[in-house]
Amino acid sequence: MASFLKKHRYALISFVMLLPGLASFFGLFFYPMLVTVVRSFRPEGVTTAWTLRNYTDFLGQASTRQVILLTFFLAIACTLLSIVLSVPLTLLLRQKLAGHRLFRLTILVPITVPGLVGALGLLLFYGSRGWLNLLLMQGLHVVQEPVKINYTLTGLVIFYVWHYFSYTAVTTLSTLEGLDPAFEEAARVAGASPWQVLRHVVIPLIMPGILAGSVLTFMAAFGAFSIPLITGGSYRPLAVQIYKQIEVFTPARWEAASAMAVVMALLQLVFLTFYMRVLRRPTAS
Amino acid sequence: MSDWMIELVDITKRYGNIVANDHVTLRIRRGELMTLLGPSGCGKTTALRCITGQNIPDEGRVFIDGKDVTDVPTHRRELGMVFQNFALFPHMTVFENVEFPLMIRRMDKSERAKLVRDALKLVRLEGYEKHYPRQLSGGQQQRVGLARALVYRPKVLLLDEPLSNLDAKLREEMRFEIKDLQQRLGITAVYVTHDQEEALALSDRVAVMNKGCVQQVGTPAEIYDHPATKFVADFIGLSDFIPAKVVAVEPERVVLDVQGERIAAPPSESVSPGLDVLLFIRPNDVRLRAAEGDRQPNEIAGVIAKSTYLGDKFDYRVDVHGVEVRVQTHGAERFDNGQAVYVYLPHERCRIILESLVCPVR
Amino acid sequence: MRTLRQYLQALLNAKKLLAYTFLLCFFLWVTTPFLMILLKSFGRNWFGKLWFPPEFTLDWYKWAITVTNVPEVLRNTLVIAGIAVTISTLIAIPTGWALGRRQIPGKEVIMSTILLPRMIPPIAYALGVAQIFYRLHLIDTHIGVAIAHVAICAPYAILVLSSTFEGLDERVLEAASVCGANNLRTFFHVTLPLVMPGILSSIIFTFTTSYNEFTLTLMTYGPKTITLPVRTYLAVGEGYWEVTSALSMILIIPSLFVLFMIQRQVQPEKLVGGFKGV
Ligand SMILES: Nc1ncnc2c1ncn2[C@@H]1O[C@H](COP(=O)(O)OP(=O)(O)OP(=O)(O)O)[C@@H](O)[C@H]1O
Ligand SMILES: [Mg+2]
Repeated sequence: MASFLKKHRYALISFVMLLPGLASFFGLFFYPMLVTVVRSFRPEGVTTAWTLRNYTDFLGQASTRQVILLTFFLAIACTLLSIVLSVPLTLLLRQKLAGHRLFRLTILVPITVPGLVGALGLLLFYGSRGWLNLLLMQGLHVVQEPVKINYTLTGLVIFYVWHYFSYTAVTTLSTLEGLDPAFEEAARVAGASPWQVLRHVVIPLIMPGILAGSVLTFMAAFGAFSIPLITGGSYRPLAVQIYKQIEVFTPARWEAASAMAVVMALLQLVFLTFYMRVLRRPTAS
Repeated sequence: MSDWMIELVDITKRYGNIVANDHVTLRIRRGELMTLLGPSGCGKTTALRCITGQNIPDEGRVFIDGKDVTDVPTHRRELGMVFQNFALFPHMTVFENVEFPLMIRRMDKSERAKLVRDALKLVRLEGYEKHYPRQLSGGQQQRVGLARALVYRPKVLLLDEPLSNLDAKLREEMRFEIKDLQQRLGITAVYVTHDQEEALALSDRVAVMNKGCVQQVGTPAEIYDHPATKFVADFIGLSDFIPAKVVAVEPERVVLDVQGERIAAPPSESVSPGLDVLLFIRPNDVRLRAAEGDRQPNEIAGVIAKSTYLGDKFDYRVDVHGVEVRVQTHGAERFDNGQAVYVYLPHERCRIILESLVCPVR
Repeated sequence: MRTLRQYLQALLNAKKLLAYTFLLCFFLWVTTPFLMILLKSFGRNWFGKLWFPPEFTLDWYKWAITVTNVPEVLRNTLVIAGIAVTISTLIAIPTGWALGRRQIPGKEVIMSTILLPRMIPPIAYALGVAQIFYRLHLIDTHIGVAIAHVAICAPYAILVLSSTFEGLDERVLEAASVCGANNLRTFFHVTLPLVMPGILSSIIFTFTTSYNEFTLTLMTYGPKTITLPVRTYLAVGEGYWEVTSALSMILIIPSLFVLFMIQRQVQPEKLVGGFKGV
């Protein structure tokens, strides 16, 4: 025993130190996930038999396809718009114009402040009596009646971008700042205009960073729960649908919710694997 | 057509309190390879960036090929540049890298391919078209950099310490390759380096810089044999500086007082009797002999303070009335520490340098 | 296409005015919602097409404090965040050390496994957590809610700390042991002070995560463990927007403090976390 300990001391110490992390993973993630998966195969209210009914019911419903489509639409639209916003934003911030620190900090606001507070503010701002509509009606006189944004799909996309673009912006910014300025100089001297430098050199070089950041945005948007819960109105992506199974029904439909959660987790994993493949393309250095 | 390919006229560039270029004036001939030489931070890169247009000088004008380009943006100046860390685009193959300037100029596809092939042949990199920069050695990467800079036949080739990221052997090899290439193409080149050996080996002319000023412009031989300032003499090769006082100024020579002894030096501008100057000589021009018999003209008495064997030569520190003179000899004769010697400073090898002269080229 | 290019070119030619207009719009887009909350929380009779409330009042804050019981909710939130941060840090220090400094076969796999909770929608395992906690009677206890938060905080902390430990300079540690310090002393006198900034940023991030956590709280809370985000959610449902606004204003004060800390202490890219080993 003693000699065994002595011989494998290094490995043992490493293992013992890893234990807390592994314990929290298995206890707080793996086991709950297992419970969810097992529950998803149980008939309603029964804890012994097995069934596939939860899945066939959920996947068989006509509305399911729409829910999944909505979830993907929101996540993808949010991801793309975040990229469209982040690239010019970070390009400007990189120039270190006066006051750039303030704008840098602004990027972090949506992920530091509780999501629900942000959502409340957005509902007020985009509401029929919010400043945006006042600006459109009284400031610019482009509309007579308030534009309805809250609880519409457009509104939801705007809210998503507000909440989740930070991941893309921060990652893009740090990639951009790690970029050797010599590349741009080389391109300029070789005759490229600023626009050509951007298109042929900068954007391709920061693409890996943009994609890595947008994965984070995508995951956050796909799993979004609090935002659509209070700002979605009748638009309910998967996470909200799952919660409604527990909240609305008495007794709570744990089995149905579990089946939906498993489908959602699988969808996300499949999409992420696909995304990572794209990310790891050999040319993206 | 102007004789000068590049003219920097009275350029001043400041960064906050730092004056990176202080009234720099430089004229570079067509087809010439001019080196900017100087220690780190002396403003070489700043001057080069004024040529490329990445710096807008605070004062002064820049001319390329006779045209005032001070306000022309970088990408319209038709330059080629090679960078210290190569700056090859990592997301493009060798072919695409070299093709880049042509693509930007919207050249015809087939013509592009031909020019790229020619450029790669020029730097002996045929067969590497499909490689990515990270798959190449440092020397190969720098050759790609050269090809990219030369592919569209720019008016001027700029090189900012292109060899300092390569190992010593490769550096020497590439040095000749660059020189050869520049001569074959007859292109005007500006080469920035802090390595004096590189500068002397490569250049048609050298501009030595210090603290933002151009100290001297001349051929390598001029710079080495007739340094204009103490800085130039010190920066290039070994030097002895012996404090002296001017005694008499004659048509063929200047007589100096070195610690009470008379030394004759060739005539020099702007010296007058009574002036404190430095007598400059290279240690391997100084000769030693044992202190026997009468002293000849330009010989002074000294004592060997320290001797070091350097393989192919001896390095002595000779104490001459309290002033240390460094001497390097190749002869078989050896001197021991403490031995009395006569130090011979050959008349034609002596130079007079004014210590107060700091920024002579304005 | 051509006009678009020209337009972008004009934009890129560092036209400062355009740049600042864009940045300012961005700034306003992010921050005006908070300004509206602020006005709402102090305003009275703010109806119709008015830019600002006609009257100001502190009533909503009084309501928030008495009716929605903010002091107790705030205490719940901070206690839960405190427990979650402590547990996560205690888990992450040894695990981060092992992952950062030890040679472990399959390290990449272990790392991505530990990060898996961040790649799965939290609602999925929150369902399981809720059921397990019911059985263990951990629902509606501070420790229970905090442990649920650890599920999502610990991966964060481990990620940050393992890269901190990995970045330690080997030579400094060797110097310490050459000076005669044993392993434990080296750890306490050399290693720990060096990784303190990393631990601090890990604490900041886990605190923010726990403080803002909603999904896992919603599945494990009870009347005794209402946290601020849950309280805000309930208040939105109740429809008193003025009171909710007052509540929100109280809720974001600690967040602003954290933002201030982030700006002074840590690189924000750590906040969003890399995807090492995924
Ligand atoms: N962008 C800048 N901002 C502030 N100071 C600068 C900048 N660029 C150069 N300087 C300063 O100007 C001076 C000259 O710099 P420069 O880069 O021209 O030196 P150099 O001769 O090229 O040196 P090296 O051999 O190290 O490359 C230095 O003191 C440097 O600190
Ligand atoms: Mg330089």
